[in-house]
Amino acid sequence: MSDNKTHADHGAHSAEHFREKHLMLDPLPRGQMNDMVMESMLEKPTWKFWIIFAFLSVVVAYFLFYKWGVLIAKGQGEAGVMRPDYWGIFLVNTVFWIGISHAGTFISAILRVFKAEFRRPFTRAAELMTTFGLVQAGFSIFMHLGRVWLFYWLMPYPNQRMLWPNLHSPLTWDLLAITTYLLSSTMYLFLPLIPDMAMARDRSTGWRKNFYRILALGFRGTEGEWTHLRNAMNIFAFAIIPVMFSVHTIVSWDFAAATRPGWSSTIFGPYFIVGALHSGMGAAAIVLAVIQGTMKHMKYFVRGEHFDAIGKLMLIISMAWAYFFFNDYMVQWYGGDKWTQQMLHFHEAGPLGWMWFAMLICNIAIPWAILWNARWRATPWLIATVGIAINIGMWFERYIIIPISVTINRMPFTWRLYQPGIEVPMGIGTVALFILLYMAASKLIPLIPVWEVQEGQMAHELKKFGRETVVSVSELE
Amino acid sequence: MIRPEEIKLSSEENGKWGMVIDQDICTGCQACVAACAMENNISFVGEEDSGYGRAMHWIRIERFWEGEYPEVKMTPRQPMLCQQCGHATCEPVCPAFATVHSQAEQLNLQVYNRCVGTRYCANNCPYQVRAFNWRDYQRPEPLSNQLNPDVTVRRMGVMEKCTFCIQRIHKAQDQAKAEGREVQDGEFTTACAQACPASAIVFGRVDNPESLVSQLAHKGHGVKHLEELGTLPNVTYFKGG
Amino acid sequence: MTESKVVDLLAVFPDLEPAANAIEHLRALGVHDECMNVISGIPVTEAMLGRPHQWTNVPRIAMGGALLGFGGGFFLAFISPYLYPYPVQVSTQAFIPGPPTVVVLFELTMLGMLISTFVGVFLDSFFPNYRPMKYVPEISDGKIAILVECPNADERKLRMP
Repeated sequence: MSDNKTHADHGAHSAEHFREKHLMLDPLPRGQMNDMVMESMLEKPTWKFWIIFAFLSVVVAYFLFYKWGVLIAKGQGEAGVMRPDYWGIFLVNTVFWIGISHAGTFISAILRVFKAEFRRPFTRAAELMTTFGLVQAGFSIFMHLGRVWLFYWLMPYPNQRMLWPNLHSPLTWDLLAITTYLLSSTMYLFLPLIPDMAMARDRSTGWRKNFYRILALGFRGTEGEWTHLRNAMNIFAFAIIPVMFSVHTIVSWDFAAATRPGWSSTIFGPYFIVGALHSGMGAAAIVLAVIQGTMKHMKYFVRGEHFDAIGKLMLIISMAWAYFFFNDYMVQWYGGDKWTQQMLHFHEAGPLGWMWFAMLICNIAIPWAILWNARWRATPWLIATVGIAINIGMWFERYIIIPISVTINRMPFTWRLYQPGIEVPMGIGTVALFILLYMAASKLIPLIPVWEVQEGQMAHELKKFGRETVVSVSELE
Repeated sequence: MIRPEEIKLSSEENGKWGMVIDQDICTGCQACVAACAMENNISFVGEEDSGYGRAMHWIRIERFWEGEYPEVKMTPRQPMLCQQCGHATCEPVCPAFATVHSQAEQLNLQVYNRCVGTRYCANNCPYQVRAFNWRDYQRPEPLSNQLNPDVTVRRMGVMEKCTFCIQRIHKAQDQAKAEGREVQDGEFTTACAQACPASAIVFGRVDNPESLVSQLAHKGHGVKHLEELGTLPNVTYFKGG
Repeated sequence: MTESKVVDLLAVFPDLEPAANAIEHLRALGVHDECMNVISGIPVTEAMLGRPHQWTNVPRIAMGGALLGFGGGFFLAFISPYLYPYPVQVSTQAFIPGPPTVVVLFELTMLGMLISTFVGVFLDSFFPNYRPMKYVPEISDGKIAILVECPNADERKLRMP
């Protein structure tokens, strides 16, 4: 009897409880949501925003562009690369940024294909990470080129010498794959943005009106326009997933196809993909926490449930990463090749052994220790901290794979430890540029895909099964 | 336009030009290193960069020792240069075709003006014998007068490596062609072999079984470095003979 | 307005139900489905409003682009090595390396397909189009509008619902 009563009580509370917890069950009129998103975008930037903006601009101008000029003028000798570490932090950063870019596709394509409803408010925030991350990756790889002014020699185009790029080289595949990925992820960012640009066009004035009018392309929302758009988004969602997998697999082949001890590994493809998703999800958590904490009305759109869902993904991906890491390690260790043995020993006990252990702590220990708890997962600052730890750990992982591993090669006479030079400020410059682009974007384009949120809210309802109230979703598409 | 039937792949075990290095008689005098640098217009990188692993020599004398101090025993010195692999790992990884296989000479070519500096070839060279132009190194005054006119001067951002003195090969071939004959073994040699006072380096045609270099190479105790990788090097080493 | 015989009407409805009713009503008045268009702030499926199926060329354009991309990949992978003035050999690998051709074909097919999907949206929707069109900003607030562009119809009769 008393048991029944508590259930009934619970039922009475639960509708309110569900509303509070789930964005999809807490619908607001579309007009109001539009206003909220517009306000968050048009809100006059605080002095803090401008100070950070100015500071980052200076960092980008000096560390990225000025230093790059120095690098181009004086040569790669300004960086720490030498024999045997011909590849240094520039390549580490390239892999790192491509990894970050994987989260956007994961969230907006894989979760869209599988109709994971929690994705709705932050698909755009994640796609922006993809595009801006790839821009940094592109910068990093061009910084690395010895004669960057001749980069177009890598492109396939008809020329007088009748020379085409060498299709035997993993770097050529890389160029094709990264170009494909950058173009397609930018288009995939733009397509769902068109209706929101139309929304912004309808409610802005001055230069912004023109800006949004041009980007909205004349979108009205007719049946035909929606049909074409949805069809295209569907094609993109399915097709961009294999492209994403191919990109990081090919990045891993840059290493796996080489004859170096520690690089020549058949598991590098999936290992790199999981690593990319690991750092990408971590970065998504950081970005979401920052958006929620700093932008107006974002507490309505981004809630504990979203951090909780990202936290679960982070935990699963962390386990997958641990599995692949161990798999790679185990086979290399068992192989008994003397150079590989030497290299593994150098990883753990060499002068940068601390980095190897820090990698394991950041990528495995910290996520596992925190993300098992639902309440901790839903705490933005905590999950952002885990995200930062994961990104540090994943950066270390790439540092260990590239400059530390190549220190040990089959010619012991050349063994030498890499000491980074100009790469460090230039790497910081790419981080600053990423944040800067994101800050500018948050003031220029609606970060929340409002129409997708409204569509989700229409599809969700509470349903009673006996005495229990549960969330139910209808398939509208 | 090439027709497919014209394309023949060379994957014979034996190359055309080869070298034999006897580590037992090498004195480590570095004459080969100096001769190579002069013959091939190699930049002088200076003390600081050299100390940081950016020395650009195409041939280097590797020194090792065994045991702990004071029971230290020197092992034979090991001159290391591009092995001109028949199955080179450096070649396929260049995205710009800057390092390709010469079918005529069976050598690994480095096309300086095609190189964009990805440095993938150097990373993938198991012998670590490729040298990168990290900067535009200056040639102090009198040195600029001794440049070899037969060899391209490389600039910043370009990979380079031992060519088996391909300019000498071509010179000899031109001479032979003018005289209507094939290049004879021993007609010319590389700068390192020429400079070696102990005659530890022998260069010649390995495709000619009569030549000194092929007779030495087949002497039995010759080894090829990192043979297990299947790179088919064209340099044979003698140690402990 | 009286001179042109085309009636151009935009009726705004707050929700799906009245919009669907209005469409049925219009149909009863003899307005063809082709003369009607629904403008909405979220994707409203045809079935919800009882409208005929919308035709889209996007998947076909995507397939066409995929074929073009495949053709480009085929050119790069299988034809471009024969265009060099002399044979360029790397290591002992074949002139047309087997597995790498798969990579090239895949990437260029996907690139062709995705670019043409994107272009397909532009072609099918006549984007960009900055001419003034029948539109009210309330639509992006979630309202549903029915646009009637009907020749030879009695405007007054249509205004009734």
